[in-house]
Amino acid sequence: MFEIITPLFLSLIVGGTFIGIIFGAIPGMTATMAVAVCLPLTYSLGLENGLALLLGLYVGGISGGLVPAILLGIPGTPSSITTTFDGYPLAQKGEGEKALRIGIVASFVGGLVSLFVLWLFAPTLADFAIKFSYVEKFLIIFFALTVMAALSSDMLIGIFSGVLGIFIALIGTYDISSGGNGKMRLIPPGTEYWLETGFSLLPVLIGLFGLAAILEQAELGVPRGFNKDEVKVGGKSTFSFSVFRGQIVNLVRSSGIGTFVGILPGVGGSAASILAYSNAKTFSRHPETFGKGEPAGIIASESGNNGLTGGALVPLLSLGIPGDSTTALLIGAFTLQGIQVGPLFIGNNPDTWNAMIFAMLIANIAMFVMMYVAIRYFALVVTIPKHILFPVILMMCVIGAYTINYGIMFDVWTLLIFGIGGWLFVKLRLEVAPFIIGFILGPSAEVYFVKSLESFGTLSIFFTKSWIAMVLWVLIIGSILGSVVLSRRAKGQPDGV
Amino acid sequence: MGNLTEVTIDFERSHLVFPTIIAVVLGLLGLAILIRDRRRIAGSGAYWRTTFAQMDRMRFFGTLGLTLAYFSLMVPVGDIWPNTGMGFLICSIPFVFLSGLLFMHDRTLRQIAPLAIVSVVAPTFVWWLFTYPFFLTLP
Amino acid sequence: MTFTRRTLLAAVSTAAILAQPIAAAAQELPRNVRMVIGSKSTGGDTYQNSAIVADALSEHLGINIKVDAVGASAAFKALDRDSRGTTIMIFHDQSYLGHLYGREGYDDPFATYAIGPTVAINPGNAYLVPADSPYQSMEDILTAAENGEQVRVAIQPGGVSEIGFSAMKNAAAVRSPGSEANIVAVNTGSQSDKNQAMWDGLADVINGSIQANEQFTQLEEGDEKGMRFVWITARPATLEQAPEAGMGDTDRAALMQYASPETSVTLDGSEDFTFDKEFFFLFNKEMDPAIIDQIDTALTEIFAEGAIQDRQKASFFIPNFLPSDEAKAHLEQKRDTYSKVIAEISGES
Repeated sequence: MFEIITPLFLSLIVGGTFIGIIFGAIPGMTATMAVAVCLPLTYSLGLENGLALLLGLYVGGISGGLVPAILLGIPGTPSSITTTFDGYPLAQKGEGEKALRIGIVASFVGGLVSLFVLWLFAPTLADFAIKFSYVEKFLIIFFALTVMAALSSDMLIGIFSGVLGIFIALIGTYDISSGGNGKMRLIPPGTEYWLETGFSLLPVLIGLFGLAAILEQAELGVPRGFNKDEVKVGGKSTFSFSVFRGQIVNLVRSSGIGTFVGILPGVGGSAASILAYSNAKTFSRHPETFGKGEPAGIIASESGNNGLTGGALVPLLSLGIPGDSTTALLIGAFTLQGIQVGPLFIGNNPDTWNAMIFAMLIANIAMFVMMYVAIRYFALVVTIPKHILFPVILMMCVIGAYTINYGIMFDVWTLLIFGIGGWLFVKLRLEVAPFIIGFILGPSAEVYFVKSLESFGTLSIFFTKSWIAMVLWVLIIGSILGSVVLSRRAKGQPDGV
Repeated sequence: MGNLTEVTIDFERSHLVFPTIIAVVLGLLGLAILIRDRRRIAGSGAYWRTTFAQMDRMRFFGTLGLTLAYFSLMVPVGDIWPNTGMGFLICSIPFVFLSGLLFMHDRTLRQIAPLAIVSVVAPTFVWWLFTYPFFLTLP
Repeated sequence: MTFTRRTLLAAVSTAAILAQPIAAAAQELPRNVRMVIGSKSTGGDTYQNSAIVADALSEHLGINIKVDAVGASAAFKALDRDSRGTTIMIFHDQSYLGHLYGREGYDDPFATYAIGPTVAINPGNAYLVPADSPYQSMEDILTAAENGEQVRVAIQPGGVSEIGFSAMKNAAAVRSPGSEANIVAVNTGSQSDKNQAMWDGLADVINGSIQANEQFTQLEEGDEKGMRFVWITARPATLEQAPEAGMGDTDRAALMQYASPETSVTLDGSEDFTFDKEFFFLFNKEMDPAIIDQIDTALTEIFAEGAIQDRQKASFFIPNFLPSDEAKAHLEQKRDTYSKVIAEISGES
């Protein structure tokens, strides 16, 4: 395989990772978009070199999302939503650099763990993944949804917000390509033309987190931002590797969850960090600090979403089925070169397989080095005057919304609708975090729930399907009990809620 | 298990199953909130009055107005030169400049000059990047 | 299509863009064309096909063509809005099958749009059974239905994935009226869902493709993921043009065993049912016909050169250029056949 490793191969990985980080770091741009944009270039590069570029973009794009999530409270990609919960509060205390370092280290560990799993266990895990039918997938989504309760400061309102998120996500067509019947529902009369396919995730996300935040600032008269002196960079940063002491379990668990969610086709990339985050909170000894700048929250979220990278390649390379939207594009790279991906891929193409593993390894290392070096410059983003930063962010949000579905103007209007919606949410004391989680997971929850009943014809199937289902129920109940106990403790009186 | 747990779902109507369940749950939760927080909700008129009284109305509604104009003009302007992204470019430059001006506190030349440069350079660079290397469609 | 060509084009055309707003009396394709496609995936067959054609056309005509994977409903809307030739569309048989199956958002394309040339065929549409299935062939499946055995077929309803299923029902009805009721649909979504339905034991037969499922037919015996082809819907004349090596470890001769005439799913008792997924252009009805002529002429020249065929074949597509008039007649005929099949089975069951 060593003849594959040429200077071109290496520089494509590093260059891809660099571009990926930039895509991930710009609100509204995603890893998926980076891969989509560069896919045509791979035709002339040949398979291994093309994959080197794309895998670099993938790893970089997933990782770059933590930068705006931490510094601006705007998730750069859907999978870094949970990073905002603890990263942004830290940044607001002037500790953005510390948060960035934690996130980058966690991303690196997550990436390596999942790569290791991919390398050693891909075919075995793929065989395990196909044991997950509609029923088990629904329970996984349900488990991820229970995090809504843990994330809300007022449980009743939090759950209401989350269910509202699911409700809004159901607007439009019951998607035929994920198993629906292609019929429309919940569309207000007269809006069918625009709402036929519902609201897209990315514009909703950057509306709620990006535009809404800017509106809030405008309402307050755009208060002056940080001075250079207030931001703790370089010698003043309080980061040391001791934050990771006691976090080994969290790191490994979150990376593992991320990897596993990646392996399950159709569960979706954003669920990885959500599940990792909720587990970290449930098992934490001081769960009340989550959401207020808890390093463990950043660790869980970032190792979870980078764990996805290796995981999502497992079903792609051992079943020919993509694990998330970005790896779905990688199939294109293979077919462009006339290479089949399926259960025989690894055995038939050992060189390509080794080259991919190697490329992922280099991409993770390159990501770590580049981001770690660039931290002090990233951290200074918050010192850019807001009257320059905000308009440019808005413009980038518009471009992201417009290009995410290759040129649909309604996505830009969605941005505005949810920007105003997000501002109203805060005023009405509804909670944005559970809402967005409901919105992301709603459509898969629907398909897997309805399909389970359609296929098995009984509600009891959710309990009797398999031992996997039973394990998931234990986790679900644990998570719900955990949130209830937590909310009582927070109220300081046993009869709360 | 018995018949209680048995469900038959007609595929043709399956698009209504989950929305119905969610709507019911949402309604119940909403009702619970209404009952629990009735006092706060009753007092929300005053809450909104103070919100609007205290807000920086010029900046808030200015932002909304500019954004609305920006979004509305992009497509018609772009339609004059189809598929070139000109709508984005031509609308973004004044939008970035005007909203920057709106957010600015001391509107001195020293402050305005960098903004003016950014408002020309940033959209132009982004437009170039998306139109040529990335080969994506802009309005 | 390379980075440098784009960049060069960029440098030259940037200046020219502002100087020439859309020429109102467009006799030909404008300088910047947007090609929308009926798929949201930039990794799928529609996108690949469209990209190949867009590249060839833009090089040949010296213009810019961007392929936008906006999906069927957004693509139709974009086409509706623009009669200047700045928006054109490529899609496949789904465009009329969606209408025939009564899916929301699908109008009759022959009435609503101008049909342009066909460019290629994806011959991959196939049906598979588990490796350990009692059914060895379509004959077994149809006989089982005749004997009152229920056969569950996993499909994605409302289009290309369902048409072969409808044909099976139709064939069952032709062989033994009433037996079509024993062939039932398991409605699923993507390829991964269909495979999963088989592994979960929810389906006896699944719709799939040569490209995506061939490796599953080559697994070791005893692997629970194993599958076998039972039917490939392509016309024999189409499959004959596939590369001789076929796909993976299945050569063309082996593939042809599963297609008509060796594997027969009858249409009316005498002829076999066949289905080729064909990619073709759609235009706004009001668009200047001169532009269609221009595209026809350009494609005729491109296909005469022969380079495009190599690219299509490398991605397992069968080149199939028909100029607009012939394409329209051909597709209308296909539509009529399938509409009869669909009417037959929905009238009886």
